[in-house]
Amino acid sequence: MSDETAALSPRDKWFRASVAITAGIAIVAAAVGFIWLPPFQAGARFQGVWNAICQAAGLAQPAPTAAEVVTAGYKTTGVVFTPGMFQGAGAESVGRGATLALRCTMCHGARGMSQANSPNLAGQYAAVVYKELRDYKSGARTSAIMQPLVVGLSDQDMRDLAAYYDYLPRPPAYHPASAGPPPEIVVSGATMRNIPPCAACHGGLDNKTGSPWLDGQPAPYIKAQLEAFKNGTRRNDISEQMRNVARNMTPDEIDAAARYYSSQPP
Amino acid sequence: MTGDPPPSSPHDPGAEHALRIERRWASVAVLIVIFLIVMAAVAGVHQATMPQLKLELVDPRTLHVSGEFIESNLGTAVEPDGSVTVRAIGQQYSFVPQCIVVPTDTVVHFRATSGDVVHGFLIDGTNLNTMLIPGFISTATARFSTPIESHMPCHEYCGVGHEGMWGKVKVIDKAAFEKLAADRRRLTCVD
Repeated sequence: MSDETAALSPRDKWFRASVAITAGIAIVAAAVGFIWLPPFQAGARFQGVWNAICQAAGLAQPAPTAAEVVTAGYKTTGVVFTPGMFQGAGAESVGRGATLALRCTMCHGARGMSQANSPNLAGQYAAVVYKELRDYKSGARTSAIMQPLVVGLSDQDMRDLAAYYDYLPRPPAYHPASAGPPPEIVVSGATMRNIPPCAACHGGLDNKTGSPWLDGQPAPYIKAQLEAFKNGTRRNDISEQMRNVARNMTPDEIDAAARYYSSQPP
Repeated sequence: MTGDPPPSSPHDPGAEHALRIERRWASVAVLIVIFLIVMAAVAGVHQATMPQLKLELVDPRTLHVSGEFIESNLGTAVEPDGSVTVRAIGQQYSFVPQCIVVPTDTVVHFRATSGDVVHGFLIDGTNLNTMLIPGFISTATARFSTPIESHMPCHEYCGVGHEGMWGKVKVIDKAAFEKLAADRRRLTCVD
């Protein structure tokens, strides 16, 4: 029996041997992984041991700067969402927004509920109202009606408007059993055509930041937007996220989604 | 102090037996470790696994605003050295471009990242398989010898629309690709 008190001391030969073997394996493995293997990958060039170690160990490298970037011939959205960017909008912001919103009432209704097939804004997420206002102002989203109205709005004005509409009561989702089951496209999407369910981003299943609340929106509006995404006349969705979906939708699916979401309590 | 330890006699048959067993187990453990290292090395050399060559960072919030991942710069680009670079992003719930087109017999560099959560990037029928992690640029290099049409399912659960998230990859004849590339700087096969 070996001595238990001396087991973890350099005097113990088992201890010495196991430390030596472990260190040896670590050194060999590091040499293999950091120095010997990387050059086997296509596109890799061996640029010295130190560089190889830094790369393999995951030291951040600057992206290659020489590559040219092709810019779009049209305007895309410049809105950047950050977590919590609309939190803490106080009563003052809502009040200012309510005053500014007077110019919106003609189309979007006195309390954000449209009578004119314009989108209802009552209860709409602040991120959505803010983004669309910014996009109208920058020209990423075009509308002969909206553009002249947003020209004079400052960034704070747009945040206030967003806070006001977010504060108004949202039309509830109204889908009585008598209306039948919800359309496939809304609850399951069409997985064979790269279409996720509408409800995966627009509420019902989950909400993705920047995706609008759709329940209660006028059907002609939803349909027009889906068609605009589909044929590429509306391009202010971040990185084509809606164009990719609408592109693969059939006219029937567009109708079904528009009809489903337009349902309102009597 | 606990006093002198009991002397272990090298002639004690029990101790000698234990020593032999201990030595054998130690050898087995070392052999297993060496086997694993050799296995990883062979897989690495033959590209069965493709660890990231280097770590490149990118701000996932501003992918669509500036840099190489803006929508007009995504797709396949022909490089001066004859290779092609494919830039793509994954987002809830699609890949951009939805259809990637690359030529045969050409070195293809993939550069891809995610705009929101972790997605998977896998080309069916090939050994291309990596993760798209927000904040990091995933790179991979490949060469396709025959024209194929393949699918690219997101293979990392990314949210409730995950099952609807996949893209297409078309490997087309090099001559046909060059014809396509003559008048376009970024190619996709999205119709």
